[in-house]
Amino acid sequence: MTTCRRAARSLAECLRINHHSKTYSIPIRAFASSACSNEVAQAATETVTPTFDPNTVTSIKGERTLMKTGVLPVGSRRRRAAVKTSDNIPFELLPYQCFQEARKVLMEDRQEKLELIKKERLRISNLLAADYSNKPNGEQLKHARLAGMRQHLEYLKIQADINDPLIKKRFEDGESDMTKPIYRYLADRKWRAHQHKLIVQRIDQLGIVPDLLPQFEPTAEVRMAFGKRVVHPGEFIDSRVSEMMPRLNVQVFDKGERLITVIVFDSDVPDLNNDGFTSRIHYMASNIPMSPTDTSLPFSHASKEDQLVHSWIPPFAQKGSPYHRYSVWVLQQESGKLNVEELRQLKREGGNLRWIQPKFKLDPIGVHVFRSIWDEGTAGVMERAGVDGADVEFKRKKIEALKPKQKARGWEARHAGPKYASLRKGRDAHLKRVVKKHTRGRKGGH
Amino acid sequence: MVLARLQQPLRVAITSIGRSGSSQICLHEALAQLSVRAPPTLTFVRHASHAQQGAVNKAKDGPGKRLGAKKTGEQYVIPGNIIFRQRGTHWFPGDNCAMGRDHTIYATECGYVKYYKDPAKHPKRQYIGVVFERNQVLPLPPNSMRRRRLGMVATKMEMPEVIETEPQIEVLADGQAVQVQKSTDKERKGEEGRTLRLRPGYMYREANWEIGRAAERAKVKVREFVPGDRWKAWRKSNARKAKTAEKKGLGRSVKAKK
Repeated sequence: MTTCRRAARSLAECLRINHHSKTYSIPIRAFASSACSNEVAQAATETVTPTFDPNTVTSIKGERTLMKTGVLPVGSRRRRAAVKTSDNIPFELLPYQCFQEARKVLMEDRQEKLELIKKERLRISNLLAADYSNKPNGEQLKHARLAGMRQHLEYLKIQADINDPLIKKRFEDGESDMTKPIYRYLADRKWRAHQHKLIVQRIDQLGIVPDLLPQFEPTAEVRMAFGKRVVHPGEFIDSRVSEMMPRLNVQVFDKGERLITVIVFDSDVPDLNNDGFTSRIHYMASNIPMSPTDTSLPFSHASKEDQLVHSWIPPFAQKGSPYHRYSVWVLQQESGKLNVEELRQLKREGGNLRWIQPKFKLDPIGVHVFRSIWDEGTAGVMERAGVDGADVEFKRKKIEALKPKQKARGWEARHAGPKYASLRKGRDAHLKRVVKKHTRGRKGGH
Repeated sequence: MVLARLQQPLRVAITSIGRSGSSQICLHEALAQLSVRAPPTLTFVRHASHAQQGAVNKAKDGPGKRLGAKKTGEQYVIPGNIIFRQRGTHWFPGDNCAMGRDHTIYATECGYVKYYKDPAKHPKRQYIGVVFERNQVLPLPPNSMRRRRLGMVATKMEMPEVIETEPQIEVLADGQAVQVQKSTDKERKGEEGRTLRLRPGYMYREANWEIGRAAERAKVKVREFVPGDRWKAWRKSNARKAKTAEKKGLGRSVKAKK
């Protein structure tokens, strides 16, 4: 039934398009479209390469061909299908009275909000000019008031645009301008709807928070990919995939340019001396400029002079060791540019975010996590990275039982003497034979 | 029946009337004796069936299930040691402990048992944990690093046994190293010079395309099919028919022979 309907819909669309384009030639022959479609088919065969419009492409094939040329399709597929079938009349000219009346109401509201913004700006400038020195705790009071007023101003700015259908459309089409507060607000809201919850859950589940930092609340969206392989938070990544440097995408939602530091920690390095775990820094780069519009952060692009602190060591987990958690931290530099030479004094082994963070005044804003265990490729990865210990295998320590082993009882005890040695021998010999057979079978198998 | 039953008291009454002197009092007594007494009412009911199970005959105390603490606080335990047996979750597993199928709490690490409450985790639950050092305290201070133990030893990795036919490592065009094996047995016809590689599925074999070329290598020739050759088709179909007829004719005798 649904397939029928789908087929019928496409047919109806086809007819409608024909109707639009050829009204002057065949106004009556709308349903008998056989001859007409033939013409269309011929025309299609003449044009060899079909060109896809990023605004209206709906087929997966078309999307792929577009993406290969470097053009991303606009918005969702459903939207593109809607655009394809509609006449694309701008909002102002849409012939729906109720819609237009509603738009008028929204415009009025916006004007009100703009007035309020103007008023609030004036208030702020007045407060800045006002003299609070003679009051008790004057400066503090002034700062507190200013902060509150600025917060309210930001709120008003968002309220002025939040109901604008055009802004909503642009945001959904991915044409948002992240320099404007409304788009940042919408992006933040979208992130908090799912991705933020997901990363918070992973931080909790994988014990990132008590192990690496006492507390942490992510405020920036961090996405990661090894080449084409997109990494979801907490995923197990093949060591061969993570051999090359990843590419980060950090979206901050507050305005302004800032410098950030990126550190990749392995927090599950086996420490045999202390019978515990230590951490290791796998990558560190500082002084990377970041803003809401400038989001891409490829690890390989860090300049060696003033950004790169520790170069990339591919993640490796030795055989038998429990899974390693690799956390990629994005930290905002509170005290401006950091001295890279000083940072290079940090040792890779045992590096701990708990004391690195306050020492260099780094404010954690985002994190991403992936995991790694020993796989077929790890030995090769370690060899290529020049890391020793590929032939080490971790095995569980044997724990002695609290009670001594019980003596043999019953039949076993009665037949333990030398009198029955032949009996045991026979049994052992049989066992040996079985073992031998097994080993031979294994050898032959290759 | 009723009459017969009444006869006896009546007779007694009449005789007593006859014996007595004063007729008036005697009549009264006689009438009092005449009054038919109601039979006494039953004090219990006996039903046809009686419940035998359930709460009827007072719940009996079954055998003890030996529940409760098997290890006290600060007692040393090793992994697998049962610390507490219970019905339901009176106690929850804390650090380095786990809960079994029947809510039994057991240790997963060597250490000392601690019974504690952790209001940060849950306001009402009580936990059983194991700490590595006797003086360590549970619950941990909020937001402090977890205590973890490796509990492992580093050994040299056991390499798979060296096979007599030494596998050669061949590097393919895409940079992948692949183990190659040459069979030492006598090669069958058409299988000369095969190189067997370790392939997915853990098999030493040729690639699929090489298997496809096996007939070509063995120089097996198949006569080409000529689409319009009706003469040959007729001959073949006749032969097939003859064969099936022959099979049918043999029928049971074939089976009987076997």
